[in-house]
Order: sequence, then structure tokens, then C-alpha cells
Amino acid sequence: MANSASGMAVDDECKLKFLELKAKRNYRFIIFKIEGQQVVVEKLGSPDESYEDFTASLPSDECRYAVFDFDFTTNENCQKSKIFFIAWSPDSSRVRMKMVYASSKDRFKRELDGIQVELQATDPSEMSFDIIKERAR
Amino acid sequence: MYGGDEVSAIVVDLGSHTCKAGYAGEDAPKAVFPSVVGSIDQMEIDDADNSDKNSGSGPESKSKGKRKLYVGSQDLGFRRDHMEVLSPTKDGIVVDWDMVENIWDHALRKCLLVDPKEHPMLLAEPCSNTQQQREKTAEIMFEKYQVPALFLAKNAVLTSFASGRATSLVVDCGGGSTTVAPVHDGYVLQKAVATSPIGGEFLTDCLLRSLEHKGLSIKPRYAFKRKEIRPGEFQIVDLDFPNTTESYKLYCQRVIVGDIKECVCRAPDTPYDETSYSNIPMTPYELPDGQTIEIGADRFKIPDVLFNPSLVQTIPGMESFVETASSARGLPQMVIESINKCDVDIRRELFSSILLAGGTASMQQLKERLEKDLLEESPQAARVKVLASGNATERRFSVWIGGSILASLGSFQQMWFSKSEYEEHGASYIQRKCP
Repeated sequence: MANSASGMAVDDECKLKFLELKAKRNYRFIIFKIEGQQVVVEKLGSPDESYEDFTASLPSDECRYAVFDFDFTTNENCQKSKIFFIAWSPDSSRVRMKMVYASSKDRFKRELDGIQVELQATDPSEMSFDIIKERAR
Repeated sequence: MYGGDEVSAIVVDLGSHTCKAGYAGEDAPKAVFPSVVGSIDQMEIDDADNSDKNSGSGPESKSKGKRKLYVGSQDLGFRRDHMEVLSPTKDGIVVDWDMVENIWDHALRKCLLVDPKEHPMLLAEPCSNTQQQREKTAEIMFEKYQVPALFLAKNAVLTSFASGRATSLVVDCGGGSTTVAPVHDGYVLQKAVATSPIGGEFLTDCLLRSLEHKGLSIKPRYAFKRKEIRPGEFQIVDLDFPNTTESYKLYCQRVIVGDIKECVCRAPDTPYDETSYSNIPMTPYELPDGQTIEIGADRFKIPDVLFNPSLVQTIPGMESFVETASSARGLPQMVIESINKCDVDIRRELFSSILLAGGTASMQQLKERLEKDLLEESPQAARVKVLASGNATERRFSVWIGGSILASLGSFQQMWFSKSEYEEHGASYIQRKCP
């Protein structure tokens, strides 16, 4: 099935920016939002921004999708990176918005080829840095 | 593709206990009425005729075949001789389509006052719906109601989306049953769905029998007249209607006891045991006939049946249900079983997003108790989180609200199963349009 449950479309810009993040690594994170009837890029984070900068960019009462390129060092002292997909849907956001984002997620995620870890979060504790580190393993 | 988003769609969620219907885009359903119908066999209509004329035998009571059906709280609230109260569904599956059509008729034509020909229709369906049921639904909707477009959405998926999650474990404590369904990326994982016949209605019956055993009689509202003889002083006159059916009496008693349950019951923090609850203070409740009853340990014991169905054995009068209950699992066991049937990769995610929904989910302390029991029984590494909307309306109507939002999205308009597609591909196309 090509469509998501909600029938939301995806702007090509999203796929392009994601490819740049993946291949050229010139962004740390990308935040996407749904505008009108499609998913568009809202914000791009430069490679030197931190995870805190990323979480601070997510609104506290509105839903977003985001990808974050996480660099870490394994126990064997090996430099690695993993691409996270985060569905941010805070409890305080409106039901309508939660519904739109949840029902469009599946389709959107499939447009972004190369996501390694997926996370859904409804409050900041569900996407704390500790959880990110744990999931990267 | 159906392209009419100027007219709002109609959303109907026909549950085992209540039918919820309303316009897409609104916050709550406009019409909420029991999903049972009163039925009088026309063979016996002769002596029932009088009472019919009194009520004006409203246009909503339709003569179909050999029986007359009565739908809606108002029509059911009026006692009629020989009127049986029947449910069109059994274990979530429709067994009597004629009744279902009457319920739809009532919802659309009487409550919402709409012409179904003009509005796309989104119906919520239980996870257990079979292919034949779905095709039959499509057939009736397009042939009889001639709706311009139709969509069937699974209860659990709508609840999950409405809480902002595409992946979650939905625990739906409904009237007739409890269903635990894992949803992954917007699809129900059918193989892992667990159901039990213990729902709100079952708890109501337990409470009713338990009260009766204590010698308290729950008088249905039709069985007495309350007269004010002096200001503030009432006299109760018992009325006798020998032709009232058992099922109607039970229906009326359930309405009363259901209210008692909602007012006084709360899930105990730890598994119920007779000794530690024997001294708890009594809670008063005033019955419609003015009699005040006091409820003690039952306040905690009845809800605990959800967690430990074998408790039914100790409730007098429920002997005939012991078998049903012994095959049923407690809520925490159902959750864990269901999660263990899912792929290892998503178990962690399911444990941390358990959604509590349905009418019985409004029971006080239910969420806290479920979370506590699951913490004890789940694997160490799992982060258990039980979520329930803080808003009582959202909890009760989560399925309907999910449908309401979905059907009102501009982008959703291309998803409908349209009349022209139905004419071209037939009813079986519903399986492809609404997976």
C-alpha cells in the first residue's frame, strides 16, 4: 500500500535532506512537521550541534517527526554512528495533531531509507540521552 | 477516489454496550445510546397493542417480519408487555443484521437527522471482525443506505492513533468484553490479540447478584410509583406488570446497578482478599425508590474480578458463569501473553505504551493497579508504562474520537472506499481499501 492511513503526502525536500544527512553528514538532525497535506522540513541542525540543542528544538506542546544522527564510541573503542527516527507526540498536544502524526508516520518513515533505530516519545523522559545511548547498542 | 470534503462524514462506533454516532471533526459523539434493542414478537401483539398506542408507537419502531423492534434509550426506557431485550452481537460478531440495521437507522435518521446518501460513513469495527462480516457491512451500506463512500477502521488502531502512537498495546475494557490488541505501525497484529468475556456488563451482573444475595432487591424504575404525600416525604407504591419479560427486567436492573458500580467501585491496590477487606467502611448509595443501601467489600471485590476471574466462584448467584470465568485470564496475564506473541523487537515498545481505553477503563485506580501488577510480572528490562487519557470523555470515546479526526482530515479524503469503486469491484474490494 503506497499510502498511509491518513493519505498524507511527503515533500521531496524531506527525502533530499535526509539523504544529505545520511551520505554527506552535513546535518546533525532534521525536524519535520506536517503542513497542509504533506510532511515538510521544519529545521536543520548543523553537525556541531548537540543532542540538547536537538531536544530544545522540539516544541513542548506540538507533535513533530525528527531524525538524529548519533555518534558514539562502542566498548571496543570503535567510532560508530546510528540514525534515529523519533516520533515526538507530547501528551499536552491536541488530540487531532496526535492523530495526524501517528497515522502518517508509517508512510513517512518508509520514505526515509536508512533509519536504524526508531523511537516514539510522549514526554522528554522517553527520549532522554540515556535511552538514546541504550538503544544505540 | 472520493473528493467530497465539504460535507462532513458520519462516524459510528457500534460497541457491545453502547452505540456512539456523530459528525466527523467534532470532539464527542452526538448520539450515545444502548446497542441493545427491544423486540416484541407480532404473534403476541394483541394484548401488547394498548401500551403501544400509548407511547405513540414512534416512527422509529419498525415492523420487520414478525416482530417489532424498539431502539434508543427513550424507547427502551418505556416498559412494554412481552418486550424482550436482545443484543445484535455475540462475542463482538453480528448475529442479527436486521437489528443492526435498526440501530443504524436510529442513529442516522433519528439522532443525527441526516440522509446517509449525502455523507461518507466511517465505521469502527472490532479487531475480530471476519471478512464476511466486513463484506456484508459494505453491501448494506452501499445498497441499502447508498452512502457515497465508506471506511472501516479497527477500534484498536483508532485508539492508538488518537493517543499519538502508531505502535502500542491497546487494552480495551468494553461493556461486553475486554480486548488486548497490539498495534504496530498502524496495523493490528491479529495473531497476538487476546480477548476475554469479562467486561463492564459482567461486573455489573456480579454486583447485582451479590446485592440480591444480601437480600437487597433492585426495583426497576417501572415497578413502582413514587408519590410525594407531604413535602419531602415520599410514598412508594409497587406496581405489578406480570407480562414483563425477564430480559427487560434485567436490562432495567443493569442500568441501575451499572450506575452503582460507576459511583462506588474502585480497583483495589492489591489482590482482593476477604479478611483484609472485611472491616472497610460502608459506602451509601440511594436507589431510585429512595431506599439507601450500603456497599462494603463488594466495592473492591467486584472490580478485582477483572484481574482475577476465578474470584467469581465466591460471588453467590454467579455459579452459571464460573465456567466462563475460569477459562478467562486476568488483565495482566492477557497483556503479557499478548506481548509475548509479538516479535521480540517490538516488545519493549509495547510494554512502554500500554493504552487503557473503553467504558470500564474509567474505573478508579484501574490504571494504577494494572501498572503495578505488570511491573511485578514483566521482564526486568522492560519499562512498563500504562497510559490513559486524563479526560473521562476521551477515555470512554477514544475509538469514536479517533474515527472523528481521521475522517475529517483533508488528506484522508482520497482513502475512502467510494461508491463507484464498489460498483466496479464489488464488496470484496473492502479488504484492499480498508486493511
